Amino acid sequence: MPAYKFYYFPIRGLGEAPRQIFALAGVEFENIGISDEKWETFQKTETPFGQMPLLEVDGKQIPQSFAICRYIASQHGLAGKTPFEAAWVDALADQYKDFNNDFKKFFYVQLGFEDGDKEEYKKEHGIPARDKFFPLIVKQIKDNGSGLLVGSSATWVDILIAEAVSRIAENVPGFFESYPEIIAHQQKVHSIPQIKKWIEAR
Amino acid sequence: LRMVHYKLTYFDLRGRAESIRQVFAYAGVAFDDVRIPRDKWPELKPQTPFGQLPLLEVDGAPIAQSTAILRFLGKQFELTGKTPLEQAKLDMVVDQMNDFAADIKQFMMVSIGFAQGDKEALYKDLFLPNRDKHFALLVKNITGDFILGHITWADIHLANSLEGLVSKMPDVLDGFPSLKAYMERVHNTPRLRAYLSTRPAAPF
Repeated sequence: MPAYKFYYFPIRGLGEAPRQIFALAGVEFENIGISDEKWETFQKTETPFGQMPLLEVDGKQIPQSFAICRYIASQHGLAGKTPFEAAWVDALADQYKDFNNDFKKFFYVQLGFEDGDKEEYKKEHGIPARDKFFPLIVKQIKDNGSGLLVGSSATWVDILIAEAVSRIAENVPGFFESYPEIIAHQQKVHSIPQIKKWIEAR
Repeated sequence: LRMVHYKLTYFDLRGRAESIRQVFAYAGVAFDDVRIPRDKWPELKPQTPFGQLPLLEVDGAPIAQSTAILRFLGKQFELTGKTPLEQAKLDMVVDQMNDFAADIKQFMMVSIGFAQGDKEALYKDLFLPNRDKHFALLVKNITGDFILGHITWADIHLANSLEGLVSKMPDVLDGFPSLKAYMERVHNTPRLRAYLSTRPAAPF
């Protein structure tokens, strides 16, 4: 078993999905939180892209959260069972990334990271981004038939989207009121024993 | 061995399909290069998985999202890393370039006339700092002829992305000679050289 070190800020953010993938895969890893004070030095000396999350595998580094997710998931049966399923996992994850690039214009204001009128940004950016992306996810869940996004068992994109949904729902009350299938998917993923255990202990 | 049938649908543009076309060209694999006129898109859109193009159909089964398509074909044609770690390296470099594209999107939209804005100001304040930051990372992470020891889907995609920028801003690689050499090295491989000399013209 290689030695895994996972570096991120001590928050959920972009780190939570990779951590949950480790948990579901049953893979031990060192979960290293880099504080804001330590970040400036760490960024210059340790990171290939000046960013986190960062995975270190037996001394070799992998930045970029999706590269990390896919790397761990693909070695533990969590990236689709065929190349075609793997492509769909990737496609859904990239579609989510496109959504988040739009959505975060509202979300950062909602969370207080940026200035702005919350209601206005929600109307301009939050709701349109949600209504463009989540119907696709609802359709995919329905077409796939297992309650999960791709194939018959959880993949890393189920974890990615469930985490995003729970974080959004916690911070924007009632945001998924007209998307019960999305809440059901999030609850289904978060009741998988290894993930439930991780969430309870974090 | 039964031949898989590939059909790629996109507009009559390079855009997000060009890297995919070049992967087919490099691999020497035939595919239907379907280019739809703009006015045909509204009726096709609801039939696509994500309401977007490019779309690849593999014996009729659809795959959306250009990077997912590229990675899939890279695996099919053995134009990818030989180990999970090598494949992760390709993913990380490509994802970083996709972050760059997202960061400069506002400038690019204004630049090609799809949005209103102050092109000069965006060039100076948005494009240049991001270009400098992301290109420096590319230089740091491409230390040999290609990202890995052999050419992969990620090199074909990156070289195409760089060429797309050069076509609009001829001096964009000034100050990054190793990236210019990298792009030219990928495009001088025989199949890509042949492809590039015969591909249809398009505004972008």
